[in-house]
Amino acid sequence: MTRCIAIAALAVLTTATPGAAAPHEGHAEIAVERAHASEGDAMQGDHEGHADHGKGGHGHEHDHAETSSSADDAPRDVALIVRTDAIVAAIAGGGEPVVVDVLGVVCDFCAKAMNKTFGKRKEIAAVYVDLDLKTLNLVIEPGAELDDAMIEELVRKAGYKTSAIRRGAAALGEG
Amino acid sequence: MGLALALASGPAANARPVSYEGGWTLIEATDRQSTSLLVHHTVDPKFSIGVRSEWDRKQDFVLNGVQATYLAKRWFGENYQANLYVYGGVGAATGVGANQAGTNAAGFVGVMADWETRRLFASYRARALAAGDVDSSFMQAARVGFAPYEGDTGDLHAWLMVEVDHRPDNADAVGVTPLVRFFKGPALLELGWSVIDNEPLANFTYRF
Repeated sequence: MTRCIAIAALAVLTTATPGAAAPHEGHAEIAVERAHASEGDAMQGDHEGHADHGKGGHGHEHDHAETSSSADDAPRDVALIVRTDAIVAAIAGGGEPVVVDVLGVVCDFCAKAMNKTFGKRKEIAAVYVDLDLKTLNLVIEPGAELDDAMIEELVRKAGYKTSAIRRGAAALGEG
Repeated sequence: MGLALALASGPAANARPVSYEGGWTLIEATDRQSTSLLVHHTVDPKFSIGVRSEWDRKQDFVLNGVQATYLAKRWFGENYQANLYVYGGVGAATGVGANQAGTNAAGFVGVMADWETRRLFASYRARALAAGDVDSSFMQAARVGFAPYEGDTGDLHAWLMVEVDHRPDNADAVGVTPLVRFFKGPALLELGWSVIDNEPLANFTYRF
């Protein structure tokens, strides 16, 4: 009896939990994608409350959910660059996209601090802080360099702390 | 009139008395006790210095001085931030109205702590002031709040809060002030009403 219950429970778990068992290739990926899709849905749901969101009201669209779900090889559990008008233009101009995960970002003062700190750097073509994703989104001018150590230092000067930095294709979800 | 230094209401809780390096911040604070203006410059991510002017309406004195604030510790989390600040200042305090004590040198020290997520907030602050015959006092205040929704960057953020302050020298030693906070970009506005002694609260912070 106990064994039957255990087998039944295992069967339920392996069918109800995405990726809990991966009897054939692709399940693990599906599981991750599902997990991220749920996260993306949550983000989109959260964004629904913003009347101007993604309509130019504050000049950007959060395409992280859409982009990450369409980028086959991208890590599914990380935020991609937020495509504000300025960021899109700067990337189109040949700039290097950078996404920085920042700890402690809870309010617009945090965004202000990092916008001001990075906005006055000549290496920066575009900057945007996303409170929902807790990311600092940068585009570095073509030909300019701003290494990770300097980004970490500038975030520190703004009063915060980095936890991860993604560049180029990884920031776009293409790498 | 005199100069004296005092700190009537203390820096507004969570007005972020230390900003980003090179940043300037204006903080106006009006509560049941006093009205004050602090303009500070953040020299280092852990240290700001500013000028402070304050009118204590209950104890009838005006304080003008300088204030230094040190971020002793900031805790970072993926979804929260917490801070511990210590601050102090010196200046001159002058009795006004019914306070005929003249002008005295004054000094103050205080501590502030806050913890904040996108939806929850809690803070505590305390200050001791010595201004000779003009005034000497101690105050402490705690605040809790929540945001009914999470706004993204640049959105209008709204918070519902309540502050309880304790001022042993006052006739109404304990005050309770419900307030609303609106936050958009570099500007923060708080409006409330002290239900104990029917005094308004109006705080405004702007980060340049």
